[in-house]
Amino acid sequence: MAEVVLKGVGKCYGPVVAVRDFNLAIADQEFVALVGPSGCGKSTTLRMVAGLEEITSGVVAIGGRVVNDLPPKDRDIAMVFQNYALYQHMSVRDNLAFGLRNRKVPESEIAAQILRAAKMLGIEPLLERHPRQLSGGQQQRVALGRCLVRNPKVFLFDEPLSNLDAQLRSQMRLELKELRKRVPTTSIYVTHDQVEAMTLGERIVVMKDGLVQQVGSPLDLYRRPANRFVAGFIGSPAMNFIDARVAAAGDDVMIATEGLSLRLTDKVAATLRKHAGNAVVMGVRPQHVMLDGAGGGNLLRFQATLSTSEQLGDQQLLDARLGGTLLRVSGIDAALKLADGTMLTLAMAPENMHFFDAVSGAALG
Amino acid sequence: MTAASLELVPPPRKGFFAALAPGGVKVLFALLAVGIAFLFAFPVLWLVLTSLRPPSGVYFVHRGTEFTFHNYAEALAQPNMLRAFFNSFAISTLATVLSLGVTVTSGYMLSRFRGPVPNAWFSVIYVLRCVPYISWVLPLFFVTRQMGIFDTYWGLLLPHVAVHICFFSWIMKGFFDGIDPSMEYAALIDGCTRWGAFFRVALPSAVPGLTALAILCWLYTWNEFLFALMLTSHKTPILTVVMAQFVHELGMEWHLMSATALMALVPALIVTVFGQKYVIRGLRV
Ligand SMILES: Nc1ncnc2c1ncn2[C@@H]1O[C@H](COP(=O)(O)OP(=O)(O)OP(=O)(O)O)[C@@H](O)[C@H]1O
Ligand SMILES: [Mg+2]
Repeated sequence: MAEVVLKGVGKCYGPVVAVRDFNLAIADQEFVALVGPSGCGKSTTLRMVAGLEEITSGVVAIGGRVVNDLPPKDRDIAMVFQNYALYQHMSVRDNLAFGLRNRKVPESEIAAQILRAAKMLGIEPLLERHPRQLSGGQQQRVALGRCLVRNPKVFLFDEPLSNLDAQLRSQMRLELKELRKRVPTTSIYVTHDQVEAMTLGERIVVMKDGLVQQVGSPLDLYRRPANRFVAGFIGSPAMNFIDARVAAAGDDVMIATEGLSLRLTDKVAATLRKHAGNAVVMGVRPQHVMLDGAGGGNLLRFQATLSTSEQLGDQQLLDARLGGTLLRVSGIDAALKLADGTMLTLAMAPENMHFFDAVSGAALG
Repeated sequence: MTAASLELVPPPRKGFFAALAPGGVKVLFALLAVGIAFLFAFPVLWLVLTSLRPPSGVYFVHRGTEFTFHNYAEALAQPNMLRAFFNSFAISTLATVLSLGVTVTSGYMLSRFRGPVPNAWFSVIYVLRCVPYISWVLPLFFVTRQMGIFDTYWGLLLPHVAVHICFFSWIMKGFFDGIDPSMEYAALIDGCTRWGAFFRVALPSAVPGLTALAILCWLYTWNEFLFALMLTSHKTPILTVVMAQFVHELGMEWHLMSATALMALVPALIVTVFGQKYVIRGLRV
């Protein structure tokens, strides 16, 4: 049990900067998810915490102790790798025992720990097998077991589920959540899958190009994305972005784009007033666009042409053409029959609209 | 037409093989295989026959019915022959052990580490590899003389080990490239030092490749002639050299040479078969 602190952590591979100025304080027993597109430096950050990668600048502390110069074995951490990294030449039991034997734990204690972990993960019948005789899901369970038996201060996960098929992945996600309740160790979980990050993480760190974009709870990131990148990365289907212009005429603040001109109301108007005359990017999630939004007096209504619709069974996704952009709408009744080319009346609530600076992408507000 | 009404018949066979009776293809390939096997076995067969013929019969192996084991006894009775067997065996084994000890670490370094030292080492063995084998011999002759190890175990062992390191480090690097390094990372986190991760995780995973390499290395040294001829003399007789001495100014003693060659085959076979079996079984459960 320990807190992990990263202060101004950076990593360069020669001229390549993989991570820059990473600041994060992870509380004891907190589960933090590190998410971002491929190559953004998630693994590098994790490996610096693990001690597998030298830290170019900054400080990493685990449990109040600076660990920059400690080898991995002295940091009291455990790590799960994307490809499991089980010792191929040892049985599952020896895989689990390896770390404990290295620490000179008495054999009776080792046996007890293995039994406890194996029971928790349901891998008791597999203990005498070798890793190559296991399925991917079983191997991942063993890899988890190897971490559990050690009772480390911190768990590190590097995309542990990405080698599994979709169904198994969602099942293991649930199992991880269950496991978490019983073993509430401080954890850092790297993934490129925002759904995994949202469901598992108590706090999420979104990274891009080696830079932290935003840190916050899943709901924070969803409701108040700090910039256009986070807004587009979190949530599925991805947020719609429409280039628009703010205009102020007397008391009214208008947001206008090709085929659309909306009068904004009090709160949103107040925040946008100072950007009058500027180009902005308007963002709205597909879930927040409604068809024929009946009721709700403050809904903003507008017209768009249906371009294509996708039937998902439980719902439909619509692509509506609005001037030069396609607006995606989700959550449409699957039974509704809409011909391509139909003129739709769409509606959205002002509080569900996001505005970003057209150049920097930072959220306005 | 519904799927149920489709008849499942194999498509008609076309082309050359269609002309054969059913099963004829199998017979054809069996004959072909036997033919090719015979092609490879023929020289060995000839060797066996030659070794069993009296001296007068070696040029008429295919005729005559006189067979004898006397050649084997005579070959073994040659001065130096037993010592040559022993020396060859000892040098092959020592060269294998020593060179693999170095190759394993050097291959691992080339595979896992970047920096000036691995780069320099890589360049050195690359350049040395490019030098034609035969051009090593004369310098080595002078060097071993200078060092006073000419015609000793060391005088043959060190050159062999050097050559093996140059050639096999590359292959060894390939083996380690094929092993996922995250296994070693896991070991580091599980409490191993860098050396510990190498010895306890990377090395055991490389054992199948390592075995093949060891066998290759041993056979290579066992069969090697040029270094043995140039770097040894009477004090340290080597099997290949002794065997070659059956060709001399008075003629060629093919019968003795064949008998010796066949006897030389035995240790080689034992090393190959048992080496492989033992190590692979030790690895698999
Ligand atoms: N050994 C290395 N040498 C040079 N550059 C490297 C090295 N390792 C990583 N990088 C670079 O550092 C950046 C971050 O890599 P990292 O592995 O942390 O990405 P990631 O976020 O984990 O991506 P992924 O989701 O694909 O695993 C990448 O641009 C990568 O090219
Ligand atoms: Mg990664």
